[in-house]
Amino acid sequence: MADAIPVSVTVNNRTRRGLVEPRLTLADFLREQALCTGVHLACEHGVCGSCTVLMDGEAVRSCLLFAVQADGSRITTVEGLAPDEQTLHPVQEAFRDCHGLQCGFCTPGFIISVAAFLEANPNPTDDEIRHGIAGNLCRCTGYQGIVAATRQAAAALREEQP
Amino acid sequence: MSSTAATAVRYVGQSVKRLEDPRLVTGHGRYVDDIMLAGMLHVAFGRSDLARAAITRLDTSAAEALEGVHAVYTAANLNHHNDSLRSSLHPPETPAPPANMLADGDVRFVGDPYVMVVAESRYIAEDALDLVDVEFEPLDPVVDYEVAADSDTLVHPELGSNLAHDLKVPNPAQREVFAEAAHVITETWHQHRQTNVPMETRGMVASWQPHAGVMEVWASTQSPHELQHIGARVLGTGEHKVVVHFGDVGGGFGQKIFLGREDMAVLVAAKLLAVPLKWIEDRRENLLASNHARTEQMTVSMALDADGHFLAADVDQLEDDGAFPLGGPASPGAMATMLYPGPYRMGPVSWRARTVYTNTCGRGAYRGPWQMESVAREQMIDRVAREMGIDPLELRRRNVLRPDDLPYLVSTGLTYESTISPDKTLEQAAEMIGYDEFRAEQSKERERGRYLGLGIALYIEPTSMGMGALGTESAMLRVEVDGHVNLFMGTGSHGQSLETTMAQLVADELGVRPEDVTLHQGHGSGYGFGTGGSRSAVIAGGAARAAASGVRDKVVAIAAHLMEASADDLEVADGVVSVKGTPTASMTLAQVAATAYKDSDALPPGTEAGLEHTARYKAPPAVHSNACHICTCELDPGTGQVTLLRYVVSEDCGVLINPMVVDGQIAGGVAQGIGGVLYEHCVYDESGNPLASTFLDYLLPTAAEMPDLECGHVVVPSDTPGGHKGTGEGGAIGAPPAVFNAVADALAPFGVYPNRQPLDPDTVLGLIASAGN
Amino acid sequence: MKPAPFQYHAPETVADAVGLLAEHGDGAKPLAGGQSLVPMLAMRLTRFDHIVDLNRVSEMFGVTADNGGVRIGAMTRQAAVEHDGTIAERVPLLHLATPHIGHFQIRNRGTIGGSVAHADPASEYPAVMLALDGTAEIASTSGTREVPASEYFESTFMTALAPDELLVGLRFAAWEQPAGFAFDEIARRSGDFALAGAAVGIGIDEAGRIDRAAVGMLGVGPTPLRAASVEAALMGLAAADAGADAAEIGRLAADDMDPIGDIHASEEYRRRAGSTLVGRVLGDALAQLTTEASDG
Ligand SMILES: Cc1cc2nc3c(=O)[nH]c(=O)nc-3n(C[C@H](O)[C@H](O)[C@H](O)COP(=O)(O)OP(=O)(O)OC[C@H]3O[C@@H](n4cnc5c(N)ncnc54)[C@H](O)[C@@H]3O)c2cc1C
Ligand code: FES
Ligand code: FES
Repeated sequence: MADAIPVSVTVNNRTRRGLVEPRLTLADFLREQALCTGVHLACEHGVCGSCTVLMDGEAVRSCLLFAVQADGSRITTVEGLAPDEQTLHPVQEAFRDCHGLQCGFCTPGFIISVAAFLEANPNPTDDEIRHGIAGNLCRCTGYQGIVAATRQAAAALREEQP
Repeated sequence: MSSTAATAVRYVGQSVKRLEDPRLVTGHGRYVDDIMLAGMLHVAFGRSDLARAAITRLDTSAAEALEGVHAVYTAANLNHHNDSLRSSLHPPETPAPPANMLADGDVRFVGDPYVMVVAESRYIAEDALDLVDVEFEPLDPVVDYEVAADSDTLVHPELGSNLAHDLKVPNPAQREVFAEAAHVITETWHQHRQTNVPMETRGMVASWQPHAGVMEVWASTQSPHELQHIGARVLGTGEHKVVVHFGDVGGGFGQKIFLGREDMAVLVAAKLLAVPLKWIEDRRENLLASNHARTEQMTVSMALDADGHFLAADVDQLEDDGAFPLGGPASPGAMATMLYPGPYRMGPVSWRARTVYTNTCGRGAYRGPWQMESVAREQMIDRVAREMGIDPLELRRRNVLRPDDLPYLVSTGLTYESTISPDKTLEQAAEMIGYDEFRAEQSKERERGRYLGLGIALYIEPTSMGMGALGTESAMLRVEVDGHVNLFMGTGSHGQSLETTMAQLVADELGVRPEDVTLHQGHGSGYGFGTGGSRSAVIAGGAARAAASGVRDKVVAIAAHLMEASADDLEVADGVVSVKGTPTASMTLAQVAATAYKDSDALPPGTEAGLEHTARYKAPPAVHSNACHICTCELDPGTGQVTLLRYVVSEDCGVLINPMVVDGQIAGGVAQGIGGVLYEHCVYDESGNPLASTFLDYLLPTAAEMPDLECGHVVVPSDTPGGHKGTGEGGAIGAPPAVFNAVADALAPFGVYPNRQPLDPDTVLGLIASAGN
Repeated sequence: MKPAPFQYHAPETVADAVGLLAEHGDGAKPLAGGQSLVPMLAMRLTRFDHIVDLNRVSEMFGVTADNGGVRIGAMTRQAAVEHDGTIAERVPLLHLATPHIGHFQIRNRGTIGGSVAHADPASEYPAVMLALDGTAEIASTSGTREVPASEYFESTFMTALAPDELLVGLRFAAWEQPAGFAFDEIARRSGDFALAGAAVGIGIDEAGRIDRAAVGMLGVGPTPLRAASVEAALMGLAAADAGADAAEIGRLAADDMDPIGDIHASEEYRRRAGSTLVGRVLGDALAQLTTEASDG
């Protein structure tokens, strides 16, 4: 077995140190060592988007990164998005308001992706939304509620930061 | 568009925001993979990559020797713990394939598990699988279900035949009508192999407590009580010794109703090793070896008079059960044929339904398992319409059941209640899509070289079926000392929002707010078949209402006594009991509860202390809901690509508990239907190799492929408590024929007509090319 | 679905990286964005004892103006290519092709060098590189060499790169003459690998006649391909005339293809729909020239 390598990763503003085998994926590290079980694994081969997290501010598939590669980086998972326990992030709020989730398994990845998408494109058309979120798969909602939630979140975020 | 009957209800009928969402949108859901127990070990299965082969050598010593490996099981050291996996829906006397946990001596489909490794991590377990020394002697497989019945090669030699079922119900009246009819039209409709694909794969954590003799289980299941029930049988213990914790479940669509062979193996191994075990199926296993669905064909002949009135039908269904159908060799085929008449005056019907075994992944329940009836019928109606030169909407209008026809006894033996409304949903959907305007636009655009199409599907969905183990559900409702309501039910919500909808029902019935009600499923609740079969609103809902109403009577009686008022003058709302018209004279539910538990001497004489009630609801044979789907599409004749333009659904699920949730259920089912017709396909090659083993090959539609969906509601209350009807599966029943018909309509100018799915660009372009020749 | 064990190396210079490749030979594999390699490792379709992570080799990142054209470091993320102003101006085809690669999350990690090294015949960048006669800069312990696109792609997933070599950069020359560029593809779903795609650049002389035609195709052969018949037919035509006949000229591309069928589309489909697409993309590129001409 390959030697374990020490890593230090800032996860949701807290520094996590750990010893990782090189092959440990970032997703498994986040789930099992940082206990961010909101990072979901639905394919482990990069297609479904359930494992999406922000790495240094950019949305990435955490199943396609090794934890060693994240050494020294800042990771935000869905657990780290809301400002505090009483408040939801506007994207989270919108998913609830618009029935953007049913079983909730795809939801963390979607919420991270939508937050990143809206940061890059704060005022998207419906068509841009549909293609923008096409990198995440949902089997429950038919995307109807997710598209509506993205629309609502876009408006809310624009209002927050005029 | 919604027109819910006005009643005094406060929460039923409202799009109440879901109570499950705050935890789910913040990543604090608790799915089975989130369970981490001290000392827990991980399971991986080694699976056959041949469709049919004898195992000539199986040596696990190198795998066992790997550091971090705790056990390696094969048929030799696990299967003597085999016990029947039979679900409560299947009578023990039906012949079934051998219920081996691990393949014994031979493998029968690609994905057949033959070895199981238990190791310190899933990584190491997979390393160990690479070290298993196995040799196979390949044998010719049976792959094509169309010839399986006549093949000399047997999938299960134990059964002596590849034919699992053959049910034939001839009807002499049908023959007579056919002999006389102006038109008899015949076609065979094919539906290809698809699979459920819940985003969370199957999985289980099992932890054996040796001293207590208790197996604690966390599982991704739709049916915690079936797991407990069958788990106890497999473990040879009592049901009280199997504790099933029900957490969040990431979808199922039928796949998680029944236990699989792997689940059984994990339970048994957890007991043998007395260490907590975790098995999380990976996506490749899920696509290859959980269950597949559809894979069927229906040959239909319909007799019509000169005006296009349906006179009689002959229906012959053939379907593929694969090797090890998940949940046993049940056949939806009989149901599909019996339901063929749908919402029409169909006349006498003869039918036959056959199911065969093949060396492929087993069939399982998938949202509307019998929906071949709507696929074949609605596609047939469009076909007939074209052949007879009648507009497809008009043809449906001529034959649809109308209020005067109801209740209606179908020739195949079903009865539809008077509360169905297919004619109304047909008209509402036609109006929503702007039928006449579309037809005008379509012919104008055709002249400009644009190919537009429209497809209709009208259907009746049998929901909340009242037979056997499916017939009842229970609810145990307890108002706690602080006034909060705990509700224990046998359901298994996995996206259906039951924590919210059951709370809404209880809120109205008991007089509290939905957020005052917490639903508990799994351990501690009474037996129920769980969530599936579009049964929760009516059956579970019926139980929840009854439990709440029992408690309410007691609350009112106690409050009346304490407030020295007449029970008739009291009302309960939002957790406060007050005298009607005198809101100041009131007490809270918490005060009533405190008295009930802590001051029983103050209760009315003869009243039992405490504030709880258990009720069980028994469903009628079936509650039928109905809907009409219409979609429009554009076809690119250069590339064969289909773009869906608009999609409308008019449905009648009776009184809506939560319209947002109903619309969500419909949208999800529609997406699965669209995926099925245009994108998804579990392809096998001739040697039985599955070729769609990743998400780059099994194509779930993304947001970009989905059209906007508009839902309209016709509300004809059912005769069950609250007037609800089931709605969970409908989207996946109506969408395939609606989409298929739209594409067929767009192809009409080329003079070609498809009779099989999927309608991928290659198939569509091939059809267009065949027209040119 | 978990990868087999490996030793991890994170060199910080090209010299160290090629040193590691030389040392471990066939047992070593460079890791760029990981968007193709990691799924294969996870599915255990492939395994290596040594993974050489290029993500800390800073000299392999970035876009620089180069002799009127551009040089793009192999580790430049696809997202950076997509948003780079110099590329948009000097190599518009790269800019147009990039949004067709997967999804934005993939492009945030995936690199241009990874795409070109992986050489999936259905990938966008290889077809663009071939159409534009780009050059691969390749390093090893024995030095650096340059390989033109026409010699770089050998067969499916096979390139001029030897196991001990690293792709360090790509060079693209800008076009001097007025030109129109267009890119499009047919995919099953948004973001999927193309069933067939076309990257087209058309240049005209002062008289408005076509003097340069570059038609790259993806998904229709074992490697990216040039539609030589189409290019030949275009040379010397007036742009407006070519535009009127674009569909017909595009159809010639069928003869330049060598498609392979799979579960998503047959050989026949790729040829038929692909040549229709070539005609359409050609039409788009030509339309830019004619509108530009009429605008001016
Ligand atoms: C869901 C999904 C959708 C995708 N869709 C598309 C698509 O539509 N079009 C498309 O083109 N791609 C697509 N991709 C693949 C993606 O673009 C990859 O990023 C790309 O093919 C490889 O780039 P990479 O940087 O990720 O390379 P890696 O995956 O890290 O490496 C790929 C291969 O190239 C080798 N390699 C990488 N860099 C070098 C180098 N500098 N020198 C020598 N060898 C090197 C590696 O050793 C490996 O063999 C998709 C991927 C996913 C997960
Ligand atoms: S789990 Fe990472 S993309 Fe599916
Ligand atoms: S909500 Fe279930 S997969 Fe998206």
